[in-house]
Amino acid sequence: MMLHKRFLGILVGLVAVATAFGQGAFSFKINEVVVSNTNGLVDEYGERSGWIEVANTSWGTNNIRSCYLTTDRRALDKGLSVPERVKMMSLIPKGDPRTNLPAQQRIVFFADGQTNLGTLHTNFTLKEGEENFIALFDGNGKTLLDSVTVPPLAENQSYARLYDAETEEYVWRALNAEEVTPGAPNMGQGKVEDKVAEWKEKDPYGIAMSVIAMGVVFVALIALYVFFRLFGYVVVVLSKMTRVRAIRAIHDQASKAAVMAKQGMDTKGVDMKVYMAVIGMALHDYEEDVHDVESNVLTYHTDEHSEWNAKGYTMREWPE
Amino acid sequence: MEIFDFIGTKLADFLTYTGFANAEVGNWVMILVGAFFLWLAIKKDFEPLLLIPIGLGIILGNIPFKAVGLEIGLYEDNSVLNFFYSGVKNGWYPPLVFLGIGAMTDFSALIANPKLLLVGAAAQFGIFGAYMIALAMGFEPNQAAGIAIIGGADGPTAIFLSSKLSPNLMGAIAVCAYSYMALVPVIQPPLMRLLTTKKERLIRMKPAREVSQTEKIIFPIVGLLMTTFIVPSGLPLLGMLFFGNLLKESTKTTRLAKTAGSALNDTIVMLLGLTVGCSTQASEFLTWDTIKIFMLGALAFIIATASGVLFVKFFNLFLPKSKKINPLIGNAGVSAVPMAARISQNLGLEYDSKNYLLMHAMGPNVAGVIGSAVAAGVLLGFLS
Repeated sequence: MMLHKRFLGILVGLVAVATAFGQGAFSFKINEVVVSNTNGLVDEYGERSGWIEVANTSWGTNNIRSCYLTTDRRALDKGLSVPERVKMMSLIPKGDPRTNLPAQQRIVFFADGQTNLGTLHTNFTLKEGEENFIALFDGNGKTLLDSVTVPPLAENQSYARLYDAETEEYVWRALNAEEVTPGAPNMGQGKVEDKVAEWKEKDPYGIAMSVIAMGVVFVALIALYVFFRLFGYVVVVLSKMTRVRAIRAIHDQASKAAVMAKQGMDTKGVDMKVYMAVIGMALHDYEEDVHDVESNVLTYHTDEHSEWNAKGYTMREWPE
Repeated sequence: MEIFDFIGTKLADFLTYTGFANAEVGNWVMILVGAFFLWLAIKKDFEPLLLIPIGLGIILGNIPFKAVGLEIGLYEDNSVLNFFYSGVKNGWYPPLVFLGIGAMTDFSALIANPKLLLVGAAAQFGIFGAYMIALAMGFEPNQAAGIAIIGGADGPTAIFLSSKLSPNLMGAIAVCAYSYMALVPVIQPPLMRLLTTKKERLIRMKPAREVSQTEKIIFPIVGLLMTTFIVPSGLPLLGMLFFGNLLKESTKTTRLAKTAGSALNDTIVMLLGLTVGCSTQASEFLTWDTIKIFMLGALAFIIATASGVLFVKFFNLFLPKSKKINPLIGNAGVSAVPMAARISQNLGLEYDSKNYLLMHAMGPNVAGVIGSAVAAGVLLGFLS
């Protein structure tokens, strides 16, 4: 019962963990920021302001509703309660289908301090010519999903998260106005299209692909081969041992039955000749004091419970 | 008189909607192709389960109509056929077919003689041989991969991969893959005879040992873990294959295994065959690319069969006389289950009426299914 409860606890824990990760909030990354926007993206009202682009980096649809954006570093203070922290943040409202981001898509929030203008507007603004800290928090107001410190930028410059093909990592870099891409992949993020082009350029005859892919196919099937070769060997050995044991058991039973048929039921199947020989040998060992000295010690062996191996028969009685 | 004018106008209008008014030469050609497939299936008994749905699908997909938003065509949003086609387009029919294959397949021959796995691996050379030739013919790497997978002789895998990598060629690739699978009895025997000596064809293999139920249960679990850890991109196919097999071998879910292997599989095969056939509309299908794909598909099949047979011959160099493998089972490394294994059996019996190779050939045959799914996973991982 205790075991069942523990198992149930583990199961519930696993489900909870799976659910937490299943929400995919950690897939959201701050992707590009413009602090001073004088000549770029306009909002639904034709106004320009600094903006923050958030990307869904996963390959599934995730909703960013109920998450928080903030520029206040104090929100990182774990000593503060959730309501205190939330006061320093800008809530991304529910009920707007635009917050439901398909795989690898982006959403732009206008940092104009006017949340009354709609879902895509924050309650804070970005400070021009200064360093800006920006953080994205999960809906619980506690879990930091992503943060970035934007250095002072020139007008219409952006600070963008870029894929560095050499290090194969994402790095932040300031981009000039003509390179700014609100709502679209930043430079180097269109890796998917590049994959085919890279293979075409580097492997025009398909030799590398064939060698690698055939190698992988062989490795996978050789791994299976090795496992089932060894496993099959173990199974064969075990089945042989089981068969030998069964044959021995049958043989023992047959011997006992033969002895009982010949010498009566009282013998319980123990051949009197063997019985006498073993007693004689034991007496001989005892008399000659050769037990444990001679290498060729004769031992009567049986797998069955009998007088010969029963513990009770080997113990001395308590003195009267 | 006005009523007659009205009737006349409407009748003339109706006539513009008929197939006769909208038919082009391409439609008639494709209808003839569909009829030929039906003839092969019904008269010649060439894989009727595949060719009848595909053949009728070709005819259905080439019935001409006036494109005025009637929502009846395969490629028209909200049409019934378009709804059925979503399983092909989005690649969810193939994993369901794999579920059925897993639930119907007995991996005993492979478990008893695991070295046959290597024959299944070797036959995948067909895929990559065709990949190189397709690149040389000017196809893009993603298109070449979609075409080359025909060499795996595995229709569902071909559809799955082409739907992901080269959706514009998927109709041609799918029809080509299934056509050649149906033509296995025509393509493989001459090659097998060409590449083997009479002495080799007479090799008798020892009967496989009996496989315990525990081994049968462990196989899908270990198989799933080992293959998908190496190639996670093959997860949809391999996962469903081994899941289906576990349903069968666990002996506790017989009802589910039966459904997966019969009713569910039959339903999916019907819809898959029909919609794949439908996707061959003349305007999409009658192109030079289709001809190239059929040529490449044939080459892929030839290379796969040859590499399976030659690999067994090579393997035999290292095996003791008592454990030699009959190279006639090498062709079964392509994953056309169980057609390729049946070819081995028939050819073996042709040369020795007591040499039953079917169970031995099933080993490389099911290994080929795993091998082609792994190969598809690798291609998908690199090119998607």
